[in-house]
Amino acid sequence: MWNGIKNLIAGKSTSSVAKGRLHLVLAHDRSGLEGGRLQEMRAEIAAVIAKYVPIDAAAVEIQIETRSRQTQLTVSSAIQPRNV
Amino acid sequence: MGRAIVITSGKGGVGKTTTTANLGAALAQLGHSVVLVDADIGLRNLDVVMGLENRIVYHVVDAIRGKCSLQKALIKDRRMDNLWLLPASQTDDKDAVTPDEMRSLIFELKTTYDFVLIDCPAGIEQGFKNAIAGADEAVVVATPEVSSIRDADRVVGLLAAADIPSRLIVNRISAHLVKRGDMLSQADVIEILALEMLGAIPLDDQVIATTNKGIPAVLENKCVAAKEFIRIAKKLAGQEVEDEPIGFFTRIGRALGLSATPA
Repeated sequence: MWNGIKNLIAGKSTSSVAKGRLHLVLAHDRSGLEGGRLQEMRAEIAAVIAKYVPIDAAAVEIQIETRSRQTQLTVSSAIQPRNV
Repeated sequence: MGRAIVITSGKGGVGKTTTTANLGAALAQLGHSVVLVDADIGLRNLDVVMGLENRIVYHVVDAIRGKCSLQKALIKDRRMDNLWLLPASQTDDKDAVTPDEMRSLIFELKTTYDFVLIDCPAGIEQGFKNAIAGADEAVVVATPEVSSIRDADRVVGLLAAADIPSRLIVNRISAHLVKRGDMLSQADVIEILALEMLGAIPLDDQVIATTNKGIPAVLENKCVAAKEFIRIAKKLAGQEVEDEPIGFFTRIGRALGLSATPA
C-alpha cells in the first residue's frame, strides 16, 4: 500500500510505463506500421479533414492501440468554432 | 495418440529449456509417458539441464537421416521409467532437418508417448519453423519484461497463422518488484498479450541451484517454482487445479471491483 502511495506522489510506476509502451508497440507490430509512417499518415489525414471542416491540423491526434488482440486506429480532432 | 506441445518464446534466455525439463519431469511424475525433444539443433542444452549429457550417443539428426533407429537415439532418464530425451545435434546446422521431417518424427513419437514436449530454439527462423511443425499446441514462455513480451506477441501471431493454439507461462515473477511497481504483474501480462494463462513461475534461487546439478527442480525439492511447475503440469494434463490462494486484501479488492481478475 505504501508503494502505491509513493507511486501516486512520485508519478507513474515503471511497470505501468512498461504496460503503456507495450500496448503501443504491439499495436504497431501487429499492424506492421512503423511509428514514423503513422505520423506521416496523421499529417495526410489532418489535411483531408481540414478541407471539409475548420480544424487545427497540428492538434489532430492519431492513436493505434491493441486490446484483447484487436488493434484499433483512432483519429481524433477538435473542430474549431465558426467565427460568424 | 499423444499430444505434441512446443515450448517457445521468441526471445532467448527466458527459461524455455528449464520449463521444458520441469514440465516434462512433472508430467512423468504424474504417471504420463513423456519424451522431451531438443529442437535447438547446433546449440543443444536440454541434455545438460536434465543431467543426461554423458549418455548421448545418437541424436535427432541421426534418427531423421536414418543413421540409427529412433529408439536408439532416445535416452531414458535414470530417475524415472517414463521420461525420455531425444537430444539435439551439436554439430549440425539448423537447416539440417526440414519441417516435414520434424512433423513425421513428432508424429511417430506421439504414437508411443502421452506427451511430446518440444524445446524450441530462440528466434523465428528455420529452427522455430522446424520446432513448431509437428506441434498440436504451444506453451509460450515470457518473462515480465518489455523485450520478452514483445517477442512473445510476435510468436503468438506466427503460431496462430500456423493454426497452433497458444497458452502462456509467465516466468521469473518477483512478487517484491511487482509490489514496488517495478515489474509487470501476471495480470498485466495477460492483459497485454490477451492469452490464456497456464501459470506464473516465481523467481526462485532453487531453480538455478538444481539446474547447476542437472536436476529439474520438481524432482529435487518442493520450492515455490517447483510447486508452480507441478500445478501447470496438472493443468496441461487436464486435471482440475485450484487457483493460487487469494490473499485477504485481494479478496476484498475484488469484491469491491478494484482489481482485474486474471482469466
